Amino acid sequence: MKTTQTPRPGAAGGVPAAGGAQAAGGTRAAGDGTAGRPPLAVPPRPAGRWKPWAALAVVLLLTAATLSPWAIGFDADAIARNWRNGADRIVRLFSPDWSFFPRTVEPMLETLQMAVVATVVGAAVALPVSMWAARPTNPDRWTRGAVRLALNVVRAVPELLYAAVLVAMVGVGALPGVIALVLFNVGIIVKMVSETIDGSDRGPLEAGRAAGATQTQINRTIALPDMLPSFVNQTLYVLELNVRASSVLGLVGAGGLGLLVDAVRTYYRYDQLSLIILEILVAVLVIDLVSSIVRRRLV
Amino acid sequence: MTLAPQQVTSRSWPVRVRDVTVRYPGGVTALDGVTLDIEAGEMVSVVGLSGSGKSTLIRTINGLVPVTSGEVTVGEHTLGRLSGRQARAVRGSIGMIFQSFNLARRTTVLNNVLVGRLAHTPTWRTLLGAYTAADKQLAFEALDSVGILDKTWQRASNLSGGQQQRVAIARALTQQPRIVLADEPVASLDPPSAHAVMGDLRRINTELGITVLTNLHLLDLAREYGTRMIGLRAGKVVYDGPAATASDAVFEEIYGRSIRQQDVLGG
Repeated sequence: MKTTQTPRPGAAGGVPAAGGAQAAGGTRAAGDGTAGRPPLAVPPRPAGRWKPWAALAVVLLLTAATLSPWAIGFDADAIARNWRNGADRIVRLFSPDWSFFPRTVEPMLETLQMAVVATVVGAAVALPVSMWAARPTNPDRWTRGAVRLALNVVRAVPELLYAAVLVAMVGVGALPGVIALVLFNVGIIVKMVSETIDGSDRGPLEAGRAAGATQTQINRTIALPDMLPSFVNQTLYVLELNVRASSVLGLVGAGGLGLLVDAVRTYYRYDQLSLIILEILVAVLVIDLVSSIVRRRLV
Repeated sequence: MTLAPQQVTSRSWPVRVRDVTVRYPGGVTALDGVTLDIEAGEMVSVVGLSGSGKSTLIRTINGLVPVTSGEVTVGEHTLGRLSGRQARAVRGSIGMIFQSFNLARRTTVLNNVLVGRLAHTPTWRTLLGAYTAADKQLAFEALDSVGILDKTWQRASNLSGGQQQRVAIARALTQQPRIVLADEPVASLDPPSAHAVMGDLRRINTELGITVLTNLHLLDLAREYGTRMIGLRAGKVVYDGPAATASDAVFEEIYGRSIRQQDVLGG
């Protein structure tokens, strides 16, 4: 706290008088004046420098073991054969079927709707939960631990799996897709934002405590403005992820472009698939552009 | 730049510290059997090197640091015996000023000053950001009394260090405090700003009659702005007497070494 002001031995203030005696023999800048001095007491180098190398060796060994035919039967031959198989399909992927466009409009809109709704709901849920999951904004370690544990579980399940289970529960359509995306979004936003809060300066929060505020009041008035940029950043990022993810969720019947992807894929219409991929690419690029503009204004 | 009558508290509080020891979980003893009697309306400088326990002492007075043994009483309230709600109410009557200002940097000066009203604001109002007109009036008056009313709508991070510390003082004044604690309030400031902030603290004491405790490590500031000086060394009180007449020998006793150039602010 007061380190900048703490007098250090040998710091500027105290030196001149003490250094006077040695000045005659030559200062450090004189270079060859060191001859008459006793050797410097350099502390011994700490042990444990081999650890990163050992870690690298372990990673390399694991990779080698994984690639070996005895472990998982990695077969370079088969990959090469499949590659030749796929080559003509890749050619078709590069020649999109533009006449297919009208049929993609409605699913594309549904995908975008799912992405937006899931982002809004997910962000709204994640805002308070982020504060409950971070130490400065939730000093109670039991509730904090419970929130973190629940979120670890939520994050451990991939969104496609959520969608598959939810389709069975609430039926085919956009709703299971949206719920799956909300869970996915809450997991990501809370993780990133709560880590930002954990790394932030606690002084302002202490000031709120000193003024007699409750933790909720402190979080609202002091923590919230400071965490807002990180929160908005993560929300924009999640929106982008959602457009991509919701175009896949249809594969398990959870609405959006994915239903169409599944259909054209089944009929080997790679030219139509290519158009869908192009559209997703454009959507993601547009969102990225918009979010980078928003971000620039935010900071 | 006079202080508005609304800010004059009916009564300021005395502070009684009885044989207080604070031991941190790491085993460090920050305060070792400290006993102090500070009368209502006194202006006290607490002097000591870093690590002497003066930050801990000031934080035991508003209960931010719990005592390991002993007793702290402010006004009528003995801190260790309060419920959470009562403790917050007591803290609401004690303003605190920090070395690093501790403002919410990304929000307005006004919002920062209104933090001083939180102890008197229901949670729903806080969540909506709907402060009462009376609270806002108090905030404006506090800002005016430290001369930065024109910065009301600015973002706190856009202000200079000296201005930020005055926002912090306005935040404390908005609490309508009975005691003001200041922990190294000028250690991050240049000499002119430091004197301006110390001057504000002195006015809080002389014009409003509020008890003020200020942690300092610069001997000229302690002499100039305190009427009473308490010296801490290794968690023990080694000096307690008038500030203006404290000799260099007294400071050498407190610091445990000879006076150096960096122990004086100048300016």
